[in-house]
Amino acid sequence: MKKLKGFFRYDNAGLLFILPAFIYMMAFVGYPIISNIFLSFQDVSVKNLVKGEKHFIGLDNYITIFNDGVFTKALGNTLLFTVACLIFQFLIGFLLALLFCKKFSFAKPIRGLTMIPWMMPMTVTALMFKFMFSTDVGIINYILRTAGLIQQNIEWLTTPGTAMIAVIIANVWIGIPFNTILLSTGLSTIPQELYESASVDGANAFQRFAKITLPLLRPTIESVLVLGFIYTFKVYDIVYVMTEGGPVNSTHLLSTYSYKLSFDLFQYSKGSAVANILFLILFLVGILYLKITMEGEND
Amino acid sequence: MDDRNLSRKKNTIYNIVAVLILIILLFPLFWTLITSLKTEKEIFLNPPTWYPHELNTKSYAAQVETGDFNMFKSFFNSFVISMGAMLISVVLAVPASYAIARYKFIGRKAMLLGFLVTQMLPVSVLLTPMFIMFRNLKMYNTWGAAILADATIGIPFSVLILKNYFASIPAALEEAAYIDGCTRFSAFMRILVPVAKPGVIVCAVFSFLYGWGDLAYGMTFILDQEKRPITAGIFNFMGQYGTKWSYLTAFAIVAIIPVTLIFIFMQKYIISGMTNGAVKG
Repeated sequence: MKKLKGFFRYDNAGLLFILPAFIYMMAFVGYPIISNIFLSFQDVSVKNLVKGEKHFIGLDNYITIFNDGVFTKALGNTLLFTVACLIFQFLIGFLLALLFCKKFSFAKPIRGLTMIPWMMPMTVTALMFKFMFSTDVGIINYILRTAGLIQQNIEWLTTPGTAMIAVIIANVWIGIPFNTILLSTGLSTIPQELYESASVDGANAFQRFAKITLPLLRPTIESVLVLGFIYTFKVYDIVYVMTEGGPVNSTHLLSTYSYKLSFDLFQYSKGSAVANILFLILFLVGILYLKITMEGEND
Repeated sequence: MDDRNLSRKKNTIYNIVAVLILIILLFPLFWTLITSLKTEKEIFLNPPTWYPHELNTKSYAAQVETGDFNMFKSFFNSFVISMGAMLISVVLAVPASYAIARYKFIGRKAMLLGFLVTQMLPVSVLLTPMFIMFRNLKMYNTWGAAILADATIGIPFSVLILKNYFASIPAALEEAAYIDGCTRFSAFMRILVPVAKPGVIVCAVFSFLYGWGDLAYGMTFILDQEKRPITAGIFNFMGQYGTKWSYLTAFAIVAIIPVTLIFIFMQKYIISGMTNGAVKG
């Protein structure tokens, strides 16, 4: 007992404060991660879930999903979706950040209001965009028709190519605030004197942007892009609510396909295998992110 | 506000541009609100009307009446689930983040890394094993399952945010408390937590929002419509009555009431959470 007290006396007293959270996370995150790995090497489906008679089948699930066509399609879709979302939300977010760093009178309250899309439940956002993209009553078709850009209504969510465009637009709408706020914060740390002395030396606006803003903002830009990649790569709700992966799997992402396998087709082990591949990709990108942020920080 | 850098003319131009951008960005919300107040017939008019010509509040009234369109129950379920997840997150994350900020205990770095990695986890990885686990624990189809699952999003976020708050509190404050006879625990509760209160509020707000926005856990772990959160209720309704846009948009508006209230009263905490949570990691 005395020994135990000694152990917790100084720095290890911290363990007493962190253990409850640690145990909780081990039970509800650590255990499921491990269990998901085992699950993906077994043959658990709705047939044997209750009985508990499961068999170890090695890499069979992985081999099956790699050969089933939908998985490779979903992997390609996930990459396309992520890259497209990243490009647009970053560019728009950056432009907004540059605007809001000017000190005009309503800059702060308006910047605050642009955060709203990020806070909303994704299910609600998906509903709003599904309504706006609907074929006959959709406001987007109406605007395009009025502007003379289209003659006939586009069936956005029931045509393969356009469905992907629609879910990307919806997700960009959510992602813009995140990019704006982080880039704004980054911009605010650049000393104003640098711009002033550059102006005195005759640098124009473009030169100031290229030679001062971009290089000094690089760490922020890197972490915004890597974090954005991680958050976008695992998006689930938006696509599931808007299209459920359809039409003909054209908007299936790894996340929605994994859900479909597990909870629509009740092939739990195959769903787990897809989820693990998604996790593995994110894990590798996550290590890259940690490398970026931990550089120069020695704690 | 410091506007000495801008001339009056430039100030006006920037304000107008910013307002125009805001109108475009928030148009989906405006359009949803307008649609929720129209009759089904007016929604299908071509060209569309820009404001409700005939005000229809039936879609809101039906949500508190008995029948298929009652959303009140789901709203209440969402509230209980989000509050539960928020309480668990705050109670567990506050001491944990204090430990990380102040003590160099065994395994500190590994645990910190663990919290960082869980923030990047896709829900899909946890869904199936959690589903099986909750079935075995006889918690399947209860609020508890969704509460326990939602807290796994709030805890790592809160720990990472709060550790910065605790790290910024001067150590002298804590030492003074010890001299006055406080134990580690009472110093933490009576001196440090009150000082870190803004950070605790950020964590509470975000943990609530994560719970409120969740669809996957609520839909997968709770089968009865009676116990499901509002997001699952809306999703379910979309499947059954896909074109009843008057009701659907009204549900959407009701579902964002808490979000709007949080935004109005706690905006500075939201911005602080978004910046600290992501940049510092």
